[in-house]
Amino acid sequence: MDDEHPPPAQVPADEDDPQSSGDEDDGGLDWTNLPGVARPVIPKRGEKDFEPKAGGGSGLQIHVLDSARSAMFDTLRTTRTISSKAISYAVWYPNLGRTHVTLAKGIHFSAMGHSAPRPVVDENGFEKIQKRLELLPEETIHLVERGSLFCWKDTGMDLTKMQTEMSGAPMTVQQVYAEMLGVEDLTLERLQVYTYLKRLGYSVMRTNPPTPYYPTPPPWPSQNSQVATSSSSHSVLRRMFSSFSVWIYNIFSKPFDWWQPLRMSRWLHHDKNYGHKVALHHPDIIKRLEMKNNSPYQIFYNLYKPSTPIKRSAPPLPDFQVVVINARTTPMPTLQELTDLFDVLPELPPPLPRIRRPLPVLTATPPPASAVAASLPVHPTFKSSSQPPAVQNKLLFIQRLFPWAFSLTQPTEPIRRPHPFMALKAGKKLIVIAVVDSGSISFFRFGQGEFTEWPMA
Amino acid sequence: MSMITPSSRGKGSLKGGARKNENNRIYAFPLPLLFVEPPSRLRSVLGLLGLSLTEVVNPHCEGVFDPITRSVWVTGARDTMLLWQRGFFGKGDLSRSEPSWLARQINIRKAGGKQITSEEVTAKRRAERRQFKLDRAAAIAAVAAEAEAIFEAEGRVIKPALSGPGIPSAATWRPSSSLTKISATPSPEEDVEPAELEPLVDVEHLQLTLQEAFFLAWGLDCLTVLDPHTNEAMTLKQLWTVFQVAHLPPSIPPNPAPPLQFDNPFLINYVIYHHYRSLGWVVKGGIKFCVDYLLYKRGPVFTHAEFAMVVCPVYEDIEDQKASSLELQNTTPFAWSWLSTINRVNSQVQKTLILVYVTIPARSRLSPSILDSPACLEHYSVREVTLRRFIPARMRD
Repeated sequence: MDDEHPPPAQVPADEDDPQSSGDEDDGGLDWTNLPGVARPVIPKRGEKDFEPKAGGGSGLQIHVLDSARSAMFDTLRTTRTISSKAISYAVWYPNLGRTHVTLAKGIHFSAMGHSAPRPVVDENGFEKIQKRLELLPEETIHLVERGSLFCWKDTGMDLTKMQTEMSGAPMTVQQVYAEMLGVEDLTLERLQVYTYLKRLGYSVMRTNPPTPYYPTPPPWPSQNSQVATSSSSHSVLRRMFSSFSVWIYNIFSKPFDWWQPLRMSRWLHHDKNYGHKVALHHPDIIKRLEMKNNSPYQIFYNLYKPSTPIKRSAPPLPDFQVVVINARTTPMPTLQELTDLFDVLPELPPPLPRIRRPLPVLTATPPPASAVAASLPVHPTFKSSSQPPAVQNKLLFIQRLFPWAFSLTQPTEPIRRPHPFMALKAGKKLIVIAVVDSGSISFFRFGQGEFTEWPMA
Repeated sequence: MSMITPSSRGKGSLKGGARKNENNRIYAFPLPLLFVEPPSRLRSVLGLLGLSLTEVVNPHCEGVFDPITRSVWVTGARDTMLLWQRGFFGKGDLSRSEPSWLARQINIRKAGGKQITSEEVTAKRRAERRQFKLDRAAAIAAVAAEAEAIFEAEGRVIKPALSGPGIPSAATWRPSSSLTKISATPSPEEDVEPAELEPLVDVEHLQLTLQEAFFLAWGLDCLTVLDPHTNEAMTLKQLWTVFQVAHLPPSIPPNPAPPLQFDNPFLINYVIYHHYRSLGWVVKGGIKFCVDYLLYKRGPVFTHAEFAMVVCPVYEDIEDQKASSLELQNTTPFAWSWLSTINRVNSQVQKTLILVYVTIPARSRLSPSILDSPACLEHYSVREVTLRRFIPARMRD
């Protein structure tokens, strides 16, 4: 089951955008919120009947269907307008693959566009480097399509002597599409994903900067710093004790006999460590590198939730990272491709349960049994359920002899521990793959599972 | 629900908490082996030193290998019950899961069936649900007809409601008396001729898959498998070889020791079975939901399965795949439409889909003689990838 999410809050229709959709995308546009020159009276569409009555539908069904259909067509037929105070102007340079925004209006540019240094010939004929606002092709197409941008094509002619700044008519939507698709790694699928997510309110930026001055988020914090290496006496003694006991075990045990894997030993056991930590073998290294570079599974977009404030020049760490592929031509990712994707992603903490007011939830699950002082270690690890959860396992042998030497801090507030099922479902690393099938986009979250961290015994 | 163990009150009459306690009592042991603890004072003293004197009680069950069905049959009633109740191993071949054929036959013979098996509960529930859907459809049709009449008479448009006070919903509908009468009528006929029936012989057996049988025999050492022709106990080495050969295509002339392969389905499935069993999950077959395995936290009687696993074997060396005589499923990454299908089927039943990638070691790296013993298992690796849908409209906050 998809995670239990609270139902989406109603996004208020923005007065500046004439084409914002006020409803969640699954229900279709709410036609009552769209302005029109002559606003037609639109009845709200109800639930579908299961099937029309025999003989082509009853009178009531035909009437309701006709009124809903005509309302939709009327709304589509109205001319879309935008206030002249809200429109922006830009010029498209095909050789650069960017549009230069000469006049920026509206709220879009807080999260769109980047500043690029370009040589400019000033009045004295000297070339200086000036920074100007530029847009990527997908950003341009998106803005032109929603009607908030007029875009002209750069003719290369020198216009400083002429009266008007721009010449000719602005590019039509069809021309914008024709010119900009295929430029700078933009395919139709990627554009569709971009416009879909932008319309929902997300901020979308590219992961691999196409030029050096494209803003990139800081690199992910390295994994080593996240491992708590506390040098308190507690952990030092524990590590000493565990290595000592492993050494003793190795002295007294026979080498592992594969025909008798189960030994009722009274000492300690080893942890299994196969799984994601073991590297994948590949017979041919060169071929593997070549396949890695040519694979369609490369992260393309960084996604930020609408509530995250974005500074255009220094974007924060992305909330999600998206790979865009075509459903018809690209099959599912192979294990190698998934591993390559996961290698660059950070590990996520397990999800905590939602806060339920007024009582805080304490989803206490017995933590995975520690290797030290387990009362019945067996080679494949399991315990019978008749044993009570052994809290005293956590106290070391030395600590039990001298309890006054070690002060154990009691937690002052109830601990919110993650539920094992939630943690297992979320996985440790997350990649979003957008599968585009002729315009229909399905998003899948592939997570790197780690069942060995949450044993059920 | 266990039918064979006699209890003073029928299982069907227990509700809620009492049934949970009953289940906890019957299915208290997660494995066929029992660990008997010494007295608690001695235990705590030894616990300080990290020792224990726990004894292990081994039930020593027996089963017969059947090469045609590629399974191990357990026929003794004590062994069957033991293996099912301690760890949910196997499946009764005439029942849904727990071997309950005998109990159902007894119920059919006796009037009024005091103990209801799970198959009968399912049949009853399906009949009730069908009746509920008919009632609901009739109510919705009545409301729609009413709205239609109003529209024709006055021109006023009312949306016919699909839920509301007049229409039964799943929470408010109650089975009508006609259903209960139908189930009661067969009983008077049975009472007429009780003397002519033969005594019942239990013809059902418990069927263990090869992976379960090998786990019990090798991992836990509590099952002995007999050869079907000679009725002798097979050694572990024989079991290991025979289980693998069962999956290989037969050769002509018949070769008792055919060359073993790394991509034998028995090996791949055994790696997964052993991995998840040793993590504490109960692993059962998942053919009902288009997947390979289902993982239960404690067992099927407690909660529904939480995870549905699809096994995707991955060859380390692509040449091995081309040269192999076996064709494994899901080795080539499947199409998005199939993945969406499985995902949707499992989302409907509130399970999370997990793709389990098992890497098959390359023949260039290891010699095939390693396959003669379970030592080859350490060269397989198991990785999981969880799969869920991402709905941007809902993930905005």
